[in-house]
Amino acid sequence: MREKTLRLIVAFASTHDAMAFEETCLSRGVPGRLIPLPREISAGCGLAWSAPPGEEAAVREALDAAGIREQALRPCLV
Amino acid sequence: MDKVVDCRGMACPLPVITSKKAIAEFTEDGTMTVLVDNDIAVQNLTRLADHNGFAVHSAKKAEKEYEVVMQVTVGGGEAAPEPQEGWTCLPDARRKDLVVVLSSDRMGSGDEALGKKLMNAFIFALTSQDAVPDKIICYNMGAYLTTENEKAIEDLKSLEAAGATVMTCGTCLDYYGLKEKLQVGIISNMYDIVEAQMQAGTIIRP
Repeated sequence: MREKTLRLIVAFASTHDAMAFEETCLSRGVPGRLIPLPREISAGCGLAWSAPPGEEAAVREALDAAGIREQALRPCLV
Repeated sequence: MDKVVDCRGMACPLPVITSKKAIAEFTEDGTMTVLVDNDIAVQNLTRLADHNGFAVHSAKKAEKEYEVVMQVTVGGGEAAPEPQEGWTCLPDARRKDLVVVLSSDRMGSGDEALGKKLMNAFIFALTSQDAVPDKIICYNMGAYLTTENEKAIEDLKSLEAAGATVMTCGTCLDYYGLKEKLQVGIISNMYDIVEAQMQAGTIIRP
């Protein structure tokens, strides 16, 4: 079983936003990956961006560049 | 003639016995709606309808509120053989280790129209099995089965009423713009979908 690590999690309003954000991050070289939204953040469903904890500034810049407003942006053990 | 029989609060085998009496009172073809409060009763009433050759469908209306609708045909009812003693109160037909995964709105690859017909036929056939799957998981285009496909929805409602948990991937509902259209079951997430399949003894994927 994989050990949980602290990650910076971005939750989105829609699946389309999550997928568009992944494209933006890939093109800007922002590290991270799409994962299922952790239960700790929401009991709902959907995709979330998981980034290294130190990348908050780059993540926020990417959100601005993509014109996407996040639903949540916070650290979480995943 | 149409009839509503309220069997809520009755322990097995009373719902079946009461329904049999009500069927005997039909003097012409009609619809009989039986209200019950548990999924085992739904399974036994579905079996009663099958024994009599009546078309039947069921739905879970709310927690502990189920509806079984039979198309009673007078000739069919009288012609049916008397069920053997004991079958009216069979144990839960759910197979706890069985999970059905519907990852598309069509079955197999090839012609789209044929694939959709096959999928509807598969779900219909699922309702006629003795065993009820513990979980039915719908994802990707399978999300259309619980939202827009009327035939599939009716059959999935019957399976839900018989005790199956129907789960649709929320990410997929959102992606296809179907979130407000869910007609049966619950919205699920990837963790539950993985967990259900990890715990399954058998996974059927048409």
